[in-house]
Amino acid sequence: MSDLRIRFDHVTKCYGTLCVVDDLELDIAKGEFVSLLGPSGSGKTTLLMMLAGFESPTKGRILVDGEVIDNTPTYKRDMGVVFQSYALFPHMTVGDNIAFPLQMRGIGKAEIAERVTRVLDMVQLSAMRDRWPAQLSGGQQQRVALARALVFEPRVVLMDEPLGALDKNLREQMQLDIRALHNRLGLTIVFVTHDQSEALTMSDRIAVFNKGKIEQIGSPREIYDHPSTRFVANFIGETNLLEGIVDGAAGNGVRVRLPDGRHIAAAASDTLADGQNVLVSIRPERIRLDDLHGGTNQLAARITDSVYQGNHLRIQLDEGAHNFVVHLDRKAAQHQPGAEVMARFQPDDCWVIRS
Amino acid sequence: MSASTGTGRFAAVALIAPLLVFIAVFFIWPLFTVMSQSVSDTAVLNLLPRTAQAAKGWDPESPPTVEMKTALAEDLQAVEDRQALGDMTRRLNSAQPGFRTLMSRTTRALRKDDLPDLGEVDERWNQPVYWQAIVGALSPTTDRYLLAAVDLERDVSGNIVAMPEEASANRTIMLRTFWVAALVTLCCLAIGFPYAMLIASTEGWKRQALLGAVLLPLWTSLLVRTAAWFIILQDNGLINWMLTGLNITSGPIPLIFNRTGVVIAMTHVLLPFMVLPIYSVLLSIPDNLMKAASSLGAHPMRAFLRVLLPLSLRGIASGSLLVFMTAIGYYITPALIGGAGDQMISSVIAFYATGSANWGMAGALGVVLLAITILLYAVYGRLSSAEERRG
Amino acid sequence: MFQGLRLVFAIAAVTFLLAPLLAILPLAFTSSVFLTYPIPEFSMRWFDVLFTAASWKRAILNSLIIGAGTTVLATVLGTMAALGLRNWRLPFKGTVRTLFLLPMVVPAVVLGVGMQVLFVRLGIASSYAGVIVAHTVVSIPFVVVSVIGALGGIDRRVELAASSLGASPLTVFRKVTLPLAMPGILSGAVLAFATSLDEVVLTLFVAGPNQRTLARQMFATIRENISPAIAAAAFLFIVGTILLAAIGLIVRRQVAARRGLQKSES
Ligand SMILES: Nc1ncnc2c1ncn2[C@@H]1O[C@H](COP(=O)(O)OP(=O)(O)OP(=O)(O)O)[C@@H](O)[C@H]1O
Ligand SMILES: [Mg+2]
Repeated sequence: MSDLRIRFDHVTKCYGTLCVVDDLELDIAKGEFVSLLGPSGSGKTTLLMMLAGFESPTKGRILVDGEVIDNTPTYKRDMGVVFQSYALFPHMTVGDNIAFPLQMRGIGKAEIAERVTRVLDMVQLSAMRDRWPAQLSGGQQQRVALARALVFEPRVVLMDEPLGALDKNLREQMQLDIRALHNRLGLTIVFVTHDQSEALTMSDRIAVFNKGKIEQIGSPREIYDHPSTRFVANFIGETNLLEGIVDGAAGNGVRVRLPDGRHIAAAASDTLADGQNVLVSIRPERIRLDDLHGGTNQLAARITDSVYQGNHLRIQLDEGAHNFVVHLDRKAAQHQPGAEVMARFQPDDCWVIRS
Repeated sequence: MSASTGTGRFAAVALIAPLLVFIAVFFIWPLFTVMSQSVSDTAVLNLLPRTAQAAKGWDPESPPTVEMKTALAEDLQAVEDRQALGDMTRRLNSAQPGFRTLMSRTTRALRKDDLPDLGEVDERWNQPVYWQAIVGALSPTTDRYLLAAVDLERDVSGNIVAMPEEASANRTIMLRTFWVAALVTLCCLAIGFPYAMLIASTEGWKRQALLGAVLLPLWTSLLVRTAAWFIILQDNGLINWMLTGLNITSGPIPLIFNRTGVVIAMTHVLLPFMVLPIYSVLLSIPDNLMKAASSLGAHPMRAFLRVLLPLSLRGIASGSLLVFMTAIGYYITPALIGGAGDQMISSVIAFYATGSANWGMAGALGVVLLAITILLYAVYGRLSSAEERRG
Repeated sequence: MFQGLRLVFAIAAVTFLLAPLLAILPLAFTSSVFLTYPIPEFSMRWFDVLFTAASWKRAILNSLIIGAGTTVLATVLGTMAALGLRNWRLPFKGTVRTLFLLPMVVPAVVLGVGMQVLFVRLGIASSYAGVIVAHTVVSIPFVVVSVIGALGGIDRRVELAASSLGASPLTVFRKVTLPLAMPGILSGAVLAFATSLDEVVLTLFVAGPNQRTLARQMFATIRENISPAIAAAAFLFIVGTILLAAIGLIVRRQVAARRGLQKSES
């Protein structure tokens, strides 16, 4: 891989006996947008801080462009960092904040002025050049922080929950802006977030963290449609999980026998041995409800609750052995609690996870 | 409670009033007394009320009138307080040399004779200059003490001129006070700033211990600390004992009753006032600013100069002002640890007040010191209220 | 290397801060008549002097009398004023507050000169009342600051709740405000006592020979005939300070614990 930019080579970070990053391997290509997603305390920030040079690994190496950077101090690493709280210098104007990294690199005054102008244009803050950070709104401060991290054209841009403090609308706007900048400038971005929809919207690849390890890494589609572990299936979006045992092949998938003897046809990533314990994950929005009988992959159930949630209707089903959650188009208002229905789903929409 | 209602406000005023009265009587009034002492000049007027009356409308260029001479003789005869007489003579003599002999001759003559003609007692009573001096001293207020506090005086024609070199040393003492205070401030800054950074950069018990080391001296009696420095610095004190014991020096090096001792002891006393404001400002600086600076390519030294230092400037300014302001008014430490050449303005005030009962000079120097202190305090107040508004 | 430098600096600075306090303590137990190291033999003779020599005994007694008077006067006046300032919504509030803090700033010698002249005129020079009044002036800022701080930490809604439950303003004050402000009032009182105990300059100007306080006596001793009695006095001071601080800490802890730690920082 000639366009390999960053490699975490068996990196471990421990505080005392607690290892918050545990023997982690991760490769990031040049120009890639990788999100680190995971619950609080799973080690995302720690990983980022090691990459930026604020922390050093207990074990393992970090390579950037093929060079080990463990002994390179932060200020020589050439990485733009956007902090969650922006970390703008309160005693410098917007323009001076952005000029700072250029001054540190000994760039001439004229060029600094020109590059600051250009990057301010890019984040649409040209009018704010002489303002103080305290005079800006959260979103504007965010964009200044972004401009400051981009203006010196770093090898990598690291962002630690940069949108966490913004309201929903602004956050979504900024997501699109950052994504657009990434596409236009070909930046390599490592982006930490709590928010799964943010990760799904923005990333080329998502690395799902759990307890200092990467549970799964892949494109948003892979992560969402084909989770490889129960943790990932639960953490990304909502899902229904059914326990069962592999019982022969079906089409290009497998047949799974549920504990009560019924069978479900489901898709699977690789060949699974008969008799293996598995989980079947079915996303709530992939389930249809009707009252026809017959066909595979259908379960008779009773509606226990139906809640209007704006863009969809959230329905709870009691199927005897399982409770299901179903998301339906909000117009399907005929489903009343107490009604008996058939829950139906395509084998393609059922995904088998080893348990 | 109900501050908006009339009773609430009345209660508030009633609660504050006692302290307000107390402070007005026992704090403001004494300060006012100092100020009035510095301009009051009643040594002559108190004793010569009749003369003052008679001299009204007198042309200072013409010879004295008979009424004036009679009035003066009556006034002098009425004086019973010999000390007041001495004060007046001293006051007049400083305006016109020769009054001392003139007065003693006159009072002697007055004791013998009932009401002699003053012009016959002494020829000088016919000369206008002596009367000019008396009339000049009759005004109840004067600026001579305030002028003298900064080594100025009025010449015969009333112009403000510099005092002769040997006459007064107040300006030297003031400069010395500022110099010592500045030295102490610098030493406090040199130790206090790194120390505050050290506290801010540690955590847990280490931070508590470092803070405790600053606070414990602050809570300890000033006299105890001064006595302790006495023990350490004196010629057979701890430092010299160790130095000679280790054969580093052959004899004791002088550390006490000189500038070194004063600066060391005052630095120790005032260090907490430097450390605490800087520390609290440092705490308010988010630590990701320094991280951000280094991620943007700033060498730690440059990050310090461009980010940490400018942001802690307010703390440094407040701390320095506080130390300097306290240092210029300091009395105890220089009095006990300093030598004759290290006495600061407070010592001189104390000397004038208790040593020579020269209230005018004590008051004038006090006013100067007070004015400087209040000015510095106002600047300090501006700084810290700006801080509050920012925070 | 940087870490090493930090450590060296930390040790040097802490030594500078604490060495004087540590240096004076052992000398309280010297048998020599000189206040110097090495100590020939340990003895309690200087504590004996402290508690038997007329001048020291008198000084200790005076300090206690004047300290007590100052504490009561300063705490009562300061607490009342702080309570008033809390409810006062007039524009002069800031000015009045500054006025109450000013005695901390004004050079003691200047204030002393003024007090000496004025107190003679008022007829309280060289009297206990005069010294107590003088000490109270410089203690007031500590009480005011500390009580204002404590009152600032009280959630006003608690008082509103109490009055909504039917308590009269006076009851609210007695049952809610005062107990909540008590730690601040007490620490103000302790500070006032400590200030009085340590005050020398004003004492020099307004006290007569009969009101010679411990601090004044120590001042004279250092100035005239430095003797280890002063180390013994210093020992008492330091031990007293630590004891007071410890008591303060324990009381705070207990109050905090009793109130379920919800407001331990106020
Ligand atoms: N300096 C430190 N000393 C001890 N433990 C630490 C330190 N820094 C982080 N940790 C611990 O490491 C773990 C991982 O922290 P990290 O900040 O990487 O989590 P995160 O995934 O970024 O979480 P969040 O989403 O809440 O930001 C946490 O349990 C945290 O308590
Ligand atoms: Mg984090």
